[in-house]
Amino acid sequence: MSTREERSFFDAFDAAIGGNVAALSPWLKQPAPGFSVYRNTIASGAVGALAATFTTVQLMTGEEWFRAVAREFSRAHPPVDPALLCYGEALPDWLANFPPAADTPYLASIAHLDWLWWQSWSAADATALDGVALARLTAESLGSVKLDLHPAVRTASFETGIPSLWLAHQAPLSGEPHLLSDVPERILFTRRGLHVQSHLVDAATFAFLDALRRGSSILVAAEGALVADPTCSLPDILAGGIALGLFSSITPPPDPSR
Amino acid sequence: MTTAPGAGLGLKPQHYAEAISESAAGAWFEVHPENYMCDGGPRHVALAAVRERHPLSLHGVGLSLAGDEPPDEAQLARLRHLVDRYEPFLVSEHLAWSRRRGAYHPDLLPFPRTSAALVRVAEHIDRTQEALGRRILVENPSLYVALDGHDLSETEFLIDLCRSTGCGLLLDVNNVYVSANNLGYMAETYLDAIPASLIGEIHLAGHAPDATLGPDLLIDTHGAPVGAAVWDLYRRLITRIGTRPTLIERDDNVPAYLDLAAERHAASTILTSVQEAVFVHA
Repeated sequence: MSTREERSFFDAFDAAIGGNVAALSPWLKQPAPGFSVYRNTIASGAVGALAATFTTVQLMTGEEWFRAVAREFSRAHPPVDPALLCYGEALPDWLANFPPAADTPYLASIAHLDWLWWQSWSAADATALDGVALARLTAESLGSVKLDLHPAVRTASFETGIPSLWLAHQAPLSGEPHLLSDVPERILFTRRGLHVQSHLVDAATFAFLDALRRGSSILVAAEGALVADPTCSLPDILAGGIALGLFSSITPPPDPSR
Repeated sequence: MTTAPGAGLGLKPQHYAEAISESAAGAWFEVHPENYMCDGGPRHVALAAVRERHPLSLHGVGLSLAGDEPPDEAQLARLRHLVDRYEPFLVSEHLAWSRRRGAYHPDLLPFPRTSAALVRVAEHIDRTQEALGRRILVENPSLYVALDGHDLSETEFLIDLCRSTGCGLLLDVNNVYVSANNLGYMAETYLDAIPASLIGEIHLAGHAPDATLGPDLLIDTHGAPVGAAVWDLYRRLITRIGTRPTLIERDDNVPAYLDLAAERHAASTILTSVQEAVFVHA
């Protein structure tokens, strides 16, 4: 068999995975019912990975619906990375445009939060900054100093109460029905020790963290917080951030001699 | 542990605590490195704790060594990073492909074992061993379709790969049993054809008949205890080749840790009896 023929074997196998099983017949000694084993394994590998990540979506939709939808998603967006724990980033946006999910428009946002939780869970480890380091900063340095967020920090903001809806579906489950409110909410994920924590945060804190994520100085981030809520207190936001371990370092590092 | 690796277990996240406190002589653990290709978090904390107390093996599923494209360099770099961090005593991959033109198929797919394929796969193993800075073991796959166009038998192909690249073999006895059943050859003949010196590790797992086709098509499910026929083949194999690190794999219907530990103990008992027989004859 020449190299070119070998390439056509792989082309045929790819086509067969895609559903055109007849494409493989030139390379089969006899009809091969066993080929379905490969198709099933490929599909269940992708679906299983999505089920592990999008646990809240699956809880809200039921396993049967979720697995059928995950299988359809995996055909449209097959995995590209053998590290399947990285698979599924495209699912939230895909769900938003998935006609059978039109009756449950919140599912795409729930999927987004599942993804952020997973990102926080698997993010790099880092020591959280303590208040002592922050206390060394001078007022005049705030315009040039940046606070680096801990790698496990993720935030999201919504026009409705999606975060509360997501939180109501985390263990331990109350069993109470939860209605989606039309009050805007923001959520923060971070990791302390081995556990991902999720917290609802106010508009000012969200604006502050969002500005830090974009690389703004502490001063610019504080201005953003004041725009979001003119009554907010920067010391309170910073103290809350320290308490939750949201910061990992100061750039540039403060002068220890001060 | 100071004893050499004997019988080990595939490490499941639900069993981290039991694995860390496992104290059986010769116990070791194996993971798919792809499941640890994240930057940090609880999974690495647990694996580090297991590694602190036990030998560890990295058993890859994503290098696509038999594919028509070279191993992905980014994937090799991530694997190297894990090898450097966890210092496994064994690193293995499969004689299969899974990645092509940017898509990853989460499976271990077959290919025609041609002379051209032998050269190609050897190049991929060479590149892998170079990137990892160490020897790898290559595992025989479970086969479900009889492809046309093979130039070499699977044993010939594997032996040639070892000779040309210096790699070793991870001999999966359950895969041999499943493939022999599905493609119609003798598992004993297959196992007897592999030189003892090439075998660096053995895998044992459970299989199940296909839901539609029944026992004519066995599936390598890793979803049941090791079957009696596979235990018999295992005994026969290590009586011939001597002891080797032996892994019990279980990925589906994962039972309580104690059930897996009992299977591990059964393999360990067989290893010990073979070792003692060697001493008696020496």
